[in-house]
Amino acid sequence: MASILTTNQAPGRDAARRPARPARRGWRLHYSRRIQLWGASFVLPTLLFFAVFKYGPMIWAVELSFTSYDMVSPPRSLGLENFENLATDPIFRESLFNTIVYIAGSTVLITLVGLGLALAINTAVPGARYCMSAMFLTNLMPILAVCLVWRFLLHPYGLMNQLLEPFGIDRVDWLTDSRTAMPAIIFVTVWRFAPYFMVVFLAGLLAIPDDYYEAAQLDGANAARRFWHVTLPLLAPMIFFVIVVSALLSARIFLMPYIITGGGPGNATRVLSMLIYETGFSYMKMGRAAAISVVLFTIMMVFTFLQMRIFMSREQV
Amino acid sequence: MTKKSAGSTNRKVTRRTLVQGMGAAGLGAALGAPLSRRAFAQAKAPIKLSFWTFENPQQRPWVHKRVKLFMEQNPHVTVDFQWFTFGDLGKKISVGFATGTAPDGFVSQDWFMPTWMDKGLLAPLDVQRLGYSSFDAFTGDFASAFVKGATKEGKVYGYPLWFYGFCNYINTKQFKEVGLDPDKDWPKDWKQFGEVAKRLTIRDGSKFTRQGFKFAMHAAQWTMIQFNPILITHGGQWFDASGKCSVNNAAGVKAMTARASIAKQYGAEDPADSIATNPLPQMDWLKERCSMFWCHPIPLAAIKSQNEKMLGEGYFRPVQYPGVESGKGISTTYGFNLVVNARAPKEKQEALQDLYKFIMSDLVDCWKDTAPFTLARKSGWTDNPVVKDFPHVAEVIAAKDRGVFLPRTVVYAELADAMHRGVQKIMLTNGDIKATLDEVAAEVDRASAAYKKG
Repeated sequence: MASILTTNQAPGRDAARRPARPARRGWRLHYSRRIQLWGASFVLPTLLFFAVFKYGPMIWAVELSFTSYDMVSPPRSLGLENFENLATDPIFRESLFNTIVYIAGSTVLITLVGLGLALAINTAVPGARYCMSAMFLTNLMPILAVCLVWRFLLHPYGLMNQLLEPFGIDRVDWLTDSRTAMPAIIFVTVWRFAPYFMVVFLAGLLAIPDDYYEAAQLDGANAARRFWHVTLPLLAPMIFFVIVVSALLSARIFLMPYIITGGGPGNATRVLSMLIYETGFSYMKMGRAAAISVVLFTIMMVFTFLQMRIFMSREQV
Repeated sequence: MTKKSAGSTNRKVTRRTLVQGMGAAGLGAALGAPLSRRAFAQAKAPIKLSFWTFENPQQRPWVHKRVKLFMEQNPHVTVDFQWFTFGDLGKKISVGFATGTAPDGFVSQDWFMPTWMDKGLLAPLDVQRLGYSSFDAFTGDFASAFVKGATKEGKVYGYPLWFYGFCNYINTKQFKEVGLDPDKDWPKDWKQFGEVAKRLTIRDGSKFTRQGFKFAMHAAQWTMIQFNPILITHGGQWFDASGKCSVNNAAGVKAMTARASIAKQYGAEDPADSIATNPLPQMDWLKERCSMFWCHPIPLAAIKSQNEKMLGEGYFRPVQYPGVESGKGISTTYGFNLVVNARAPKEKQEALQDLYKFIMSDLVDCWKDTAPFTLARKSGWTDNPVVKDFPHVAEVIAAKDRGVFLPRTVVYAELADAMHRGVQKIMLTNGDIKATLDEVAAEVDRASAAYKKG
C-alpha cells in the first residue's frame, strides 16, 4: 500500500527517505520524463492527424511526381522526366509566370492596403470602427458569391464600366482582355483579403505603447518620422506575418481565377493551382500534376525562407 | 356452458378493448409488412447499385423516375442514384476510378468513351440480355455513327440513350423586325450567315444592344461543339492519318477565319459580352440579346423558364447550320451511353443491364418528359403522334441525322482546352490565327505523345 502511495511522489524525496530499491526502479520514471510523456500524449493525436492527412499525402505527392500515374493503372516510375517536360512546356511556364505576378501583386497590395486601412481606422476619426466592421464583411461573404458578383461587376456593360463612363473612360474589357484580366483578379483578391489583414495590423498598432510616440514627439519627430522610426519597426513582426501568410494564400488561390476568368483569356490568368487541377483531374495525369505541386511547394518554401532571413537579419541589426 | 355463454354475451366492447385491438392490429401490420416483403425478396438476393448521371432539368428527373419504377418492380434491387453538373460528371468518374469509388453504372458523355474503353474501365454488355438477338441486331437499331463510338472488336460497351444534333435557333420576331422572312431568309451559307447576322445587329457606339449571332465562349466543350462542323465543312480535320493534330493546316485556318469573321468582318458579335453560364449556355438568345444561337434541342420548359413571352407567342424556330455550299450545313452531334463499370461484381453488372433495358423500354415516355432531346434508337418513338406533333421536330431530327461527331480521341480534354484557349486568343486578344492554331496543334501533339508513352 505504501509503495502505491509513494509512486506519485517526487523521486528525490522518495530517495531521501528510503534508500534505493533496485527491483522497482525499472518502471518508475523521472518526474520530468513523466511530464514529457504526458505532453507527448496530448500532442500525439494532432501529430497523428497531421501525419495521416497532411504529411502523408505530401510525401506521397513528392513520390508521385517521379511517376506516370493516370489514376487507373498503377504508377510507373519516370525519374525526373515530369520535371524535364515541365521545363519545356509553354503552358507551365506561362502559368508559373502568372502565379509569380499574382503572388507579388496581391501580397504587396494586401500588405499596403491592409496597413493603410489599419492606420486610418486607428486614428480618432469618428465612425472609423464602424467602417472596420463594414469592411470586414467582405471576409464573411462566401468566396463563390464574391467571384460571381465581381464577374458581373466587371462585365463589359457592368457597374465598373458604368462608373467610369462619366469620366470619359471608354469600355474596358476587364476580364476578357489579357492586359487587364490579371490586374482585375488581383484587385478582387485585395478587396476580399485586405480587410482581414487590416485587423491583424490594427492589433499590432494597438499593442504599441503611446509612450514611444510621446517620446518621439518630444524629440521633435513629425508624423512621418514617427511612422518610419516607431510604427514600422514595431510592426515588423506583423508585416512579416502578413507577407508570408498572404503570399501562401495567393500561391494556393484557385477559385477566383477559376470562376471569374476560367484561366483566360487564352492563358492570361491560369495560375499553377488551376494547372494542377486540370492536369490531374481533366487529363488524368496525376504524376505530372504532383510535379507541378512540388515546384509550387519549393517556390513557396524558398520565398518563406528568404523572408525569414530578411526579417531576422533586420531584427539583429 | 350457460355460464360461459352468459359470460360471453356479457362481454361488452369498451373503448379500452377497442384501442387495444387497434394497437394490436397496427403492430401486427407493422411487423408483418416487412416480413412479407423480406420473404418475397428472399427469392432474389438483395443488390445495391450505385448509378451516376448528369444534371439537366428534364433528362435527370426522367432517368430518376425510371430508376424508381424499376426499384418498385424489383424490390431486391436498390439504386443509389446520384447526379452531378454536366461538366463535372467526367471528372468525378475519373476520381472515382482512381480511388475505387466509381459507381457501378453511369451515364457517359460520348466523348469520354474512347478513354474509358481504352483503359478497360467499361464492362462489355450482353446484347441478348438487353433484348437483341445479336451484335448486328443491336448496332442496327441505333444511329450507326453513334453506336460505333460505343463498340469495339465486336463488343458493345455502351447502351445509347440520347443522341442529338445542334440547330441554328433563330428569333423569328427579330428577323421580321429587320425585314427578313424567317421561313425563307434564314442563312444557308456562310456569306448569307454573316450578312444576316450583321443585319440583325443593333449597336450603340461601342455597345451591342443586340448581337446578330453569338458564339458560346464560356466553356471548352462548347467551343469544340461549335467549331467542329465549321472545321469539317471547310475541308479540315482534327487529326491526320498519322494521328498528328492538323487543325493548323490551310483548311483549319480557313475554318477559323470563317468563325472569326462574324465578329471581325461583319461586326455582328461581341465575343467579350455574354451572360451564358454552364447550366444555360443559350441565355443570351433566350433573353433576346442575340438573334441567332447554335444550340442543342431546347426544351420548351427551358424557353418558358427564361422567356415566357417567346414561348407563348412562338417567335422562335430551329433551322439547319449554314454550309460552305448553300443548304449543305451540318452541325455537331453527340450523345450519351448507359455504361457499366468493369470493376463491378458480375451480379451487379447483370442487374444494371436489366435496369438499362427497363429505362429504355418506353421511349415515348422519354420523349414526353424530355422533348425535343432526340434518342439514339431508330425505332420505337419517331412514328408516335406525340413526337410527330412536336413543334419543329423535323428540323431537330434532320440535324441529328446529318450531323458530324466530335473527334474521338484519347486526348479529347487536352484538345478541347487547347482549342478554347486558342479561340479566346484569336477572338479576345486579336491573336494571329495561323500562329495560334500552330500553338494548339503543338500542345495537342505533346499530349498525344505523352499518352502514347503511358
